[in-house]
Amino acid sequence: MKKILLLILSLGVAIGAYVAYSMYNKKHTNVGETKPVASLSALDLFTAFENDETEAMTKFADQVVAVSGDIYTVDLSNEKEPQLVLAANGDNGYIRCGFKPEELEKIKTLEAGNNVELKGECKGVNAPEGLDLLADIDVVLSSCIIIE
Amino acid sequence: MKKIFLIIGLASAVTFGFKSHEGGVYKSNTGNINFYSHTSVEDISADNHKVKTAFDATSGKMQYSVLVKDFEFEKALMQEHFNENYMESTKYPKSTFNGTIDKIANINFSKDGTYTSPVSGKLTIKDVTKDVATTGTFIVKGSTVNAKAVFNINPRDYNISIPKAVANKIAQELKISVDVDYVHQH
Repeated sequence: MKKILLLILSLGVAIGAYVAYSMYNKKHTNVGETKPVASLSALDLFTAFENDETEAMTKFADQVVAVSGDIYTVDLSNEKEPQLVLAANGDNGYIRCGFKPEELEKIKTLEAGNNVELKGECKGVNAPEGLDLLADIDVVLSSCIIIE
Repeated sequence: MKKIFLIIGLASAVTFGFKSHEGGVYKSNTGNINFYSHTSVEDISADNHKVKTAFDATSGKMQYSVLVKDFEFEKALMQEHFNENYMESTKYPKSTFNGTIDKIANINFSKDGTYTSPVSGKLTIKDVTKDVATTGTFIVKGSTVNAKAVFNINPRDYNISIPKAVANKIAQELKISVDVDYVHQH
């Protein structure tokens, strides 16, 4: 009887340790393998945040979203995270899409005016209130990959 | 006649050719902020590479806005705890700094070189605003300025409560490092 209890206890400890280890080493979202919660145009995503940030955060934050639109600029100014800026709302509203450095070669083949479809993890909208030097508004996606 | 053309030519060169970067606004949407926590149990580090920031080279006014959810950790679980338990980043999505480069006159934007100045202002995290101060290093190169600064914050000052169970894994003081390449806006 003691042996069975010991066995069950050991098994419980082993399973517990495995679960804790797996949780601790949980992987980041693999954007490439994740089905997007929504596919929308750059303007529609921007408008969703502009109209109601709280609602848009509930819908999209930390979720993989597919976005299509025209490239406003290819921003390679930060080598740690190459970025594409999609036009969304004239001079004041953009979708800023960050890529892992390993995507750099693909990004370099693109240029302003190209139409792209990409997906990435939505991080929210950087729309500083009361900071007059930072007038333009970016909806931010990270860990992006180009779909086409 | 030749002399007149020469004078007009020289005047044009002075006006348009040798652009001065004195004054105006310097901006970046791709600034870096790292925060680092060191304890004997664990080191925690996270980076954000899409910091929106600008400064006015005349008044010295300097502003930052950063999306909290965009800090990336090595471990996904740490990132999850940071956002859900400590920063409540869905409720408080942005952190901002609104301050000044206190001795903007120390920096000669027309001459390449390395300059320093105190930087101070109000840092807002989780809707709590506190005064912070540090020294910034500014490297002027043509129309670009690289700015670096390091300062410490105490998470408890910003209503970030650390549960006792993990208190030994998170430092009392977090080190914040800022590194931004600004470009002069024409």
